[in-house]
Amino acid sequence: MRSPVQLQHGSDATNGFHTLQPHDQTDGPIKRVCLTRGMHVPEHVAMHHTHDVGPDQCCSSVVQMIHAPPESVWALVRRFDNPKVYKNFIRQCRIVQGDGLHVGDLREVMVVSGLPAVSSTERLEILDEERHVISFSVVGGDHRLKNYRSVTTLHASDDEGTVVVESYIVDVPPGNTEEETLSFVDTIVRCNLQSLARSTNRQ
Amino acid sequence: MAEICYENETMMIETTATVVKKATTTTRRRERSSSQAARRRRMEIRRFKFVSGEQEPVFVDGDLQRRRRRESTVAASTSTVFYETAKEVVVLCESLSSTVVALPDPEAYPKYGVASVCGRRREMEDAVAVHPFFSRHQTEYSSTGFHYCGVYDGHGCSHVAMKCRERLHELVREEFEADADWEKSMARSFTRMDMEVVALNADGAAKCRCELQRPDCDAVGSTAVVSVLTPEKIIVANCGDSRAVLCRNGKAIALSSDHKPDRPDELDRIQAAGGRVIYWDGPRVLGVLAMSRAIGDNYLKPYVISRPEVTVTDRANGDDFLILASDGLWDVVSNETACSVVRMCLRGKVNGQVSSSPEREMTGVGAGNVVVGGGDLPDKACEEASLLLTRLALARQSSDNVSVVVVDLRRDT
Repeated sequence: MRSPVQLQHGSDATNGFHTLQPHDQTDGPIKRVCLTRGMHVPEHVAMHHTHDVGPDQCCSSVVQMIHAPPESVWALVRRFDNPKVYKNFIRQCRIVQGDGLHVGDLREVMVVSGLPAVSSTERLEILDEERHVISFSVVGGDHRLKNYRSVTTLHASDDEGTVVVESYIVDVPPGNTEEETLSFVDTIVRCNLQSLARSTNRQ
Repeated sequence: MAEICYENETMMIETTATVVKKATTTTRRRERSSSQAARRRRMEIRRFKFVSGEQEPVFVDGDLQRRRRRESTVAASTSTVFYETAKEVVVLCESLSSTVVALPDPEAYPKYGVASVCGRRREMEDAVAVHPFFSRHQTEYSSTGFHYCGVYDGHGCSHVAMKCRERLHELVREEFEADADWEKSMARSFTRMDMEVVALNADGAAKCRCELQRPDCDAVGSTAVVSVLTPEKIIVANCGDSRAVLCRNGKAIALSSDHKPDRPDELDRIQAAGGRVIYWDGPRVLGVLAMSRAIGDNYLKPYVISRPEVTVTDRANGDDFLILASDGLWDVVSNETACSVVRMCLRGKVNGQVSSSPEREMTGVGAGNVVVGGGDLPDKACEEASLLLTRLALARQSSDNVSVVVVDLRRDT
């Protein structure tokens, strides 16, 4: 039986996105989207899952409940140097700049066979040990996900478990629709979070 | 006597399985398999002595140790090792046949060849299984055997394909003996194979032990194209985008249909199940997987199913040979071209060319980890044909693993 997984799409009208600055003179509108709207989450979680979405971009979030305390889950999620401990689809990962513990560090990820990607170069953007927030952006590699940025937060649930929220923002690749892009990335993220739940419970 | 007969059958099957396993593992894993093979041979030796009543052991410990060292040498000498193993099997067969009447005539053995090559990809995720006489059927006139061969092209990791190689033929035999309907028994055996693979994930202790050390197995899968040869029929069951092609009277006949997500009926099935096919470097289920059916891949169910499509073809005098291969071959070589290449080999027209240091020649086109001659009693011409097909695929820039099985179906040879 799969753990419950919820999806919040940035494209849904129910999210109530609005123009960031109505009178701004920038090219095209920037929409501020809060992907945890309607959920009871700590303020810092809501802030981290609010994205400024430009034209030809899309964003989404996946929520995973895990029956384990946040510290146990965080021990796996925080490993920027070793995402293989819970992420599928990674054949090999090595830190290519820094030590994987500081903002700005880079890792090179090689992807397993069968997927439409070969490699990904990723930069650590946030590593908040106190509030359990990790974020990375994709800055290179052989794949079609340009300007991808991901944020993963952990917070305690009411029943002594953990609520994991992972949201992302990414360009819609040429030739694909926003809906297709969300469907593809959500599948990958959902699979990884379900694996995280199994890996945590297996420890 | 019945017990002895059964024991002999088990011995032969195990010997076959031992030999086949070596052919399809990487160098490092081959060493592990060699260790297992050595233990298995010791067990077989004891049984052999019991059956034959000979006083002297067939192998002394020194021989075993030397053989083990030889088996750990580089791929260049793999053919020698396998040929020697094949000789051992012949010796066992000849000795056994003098005491057990029910054993098959050695001439009735199918002629086949196997070749697998890693290609440009760094890891080998294909697996091949050939099991002559994997199922035995007694009629009032003679004892005949069914022969099994399968090609499994793994993705995400190799262990689903390896598990198929180890288990699927056993499941097929069990299901066919339970109900002699090929469509149903194949469907049930593939379903059971898929359930065994998915169960790897449910068992908390079964963390992936493969080289990749995956966190779990939810996103690992494999194709499976399987053929059972009986005296009267050719049965093919396919799940995924590997393929079986029959050459009859010089013409290519596809015995399987590739499960691509944009095949109209597969597209309809996926959409009816609530999934979608997204064009992302080609048509893919949810933009992720480039095939619509596979063993494993639990995270994509119910869109990616493991139900095989089964064809049953009556054998005919004009049957030349059968080719089973992964899409690393079929993506760059047409059915017709593959048949032409194999026909040339089986007629002996290119023996001189192929047999001149094929392993060394392969190196130039990135053919690391070449494995040839997988299985006992491989036929030289079939082996050369399968090897030539892998070379052709690499020459045509195939970027995938390539695995090929060629079975000679001619009756007068």
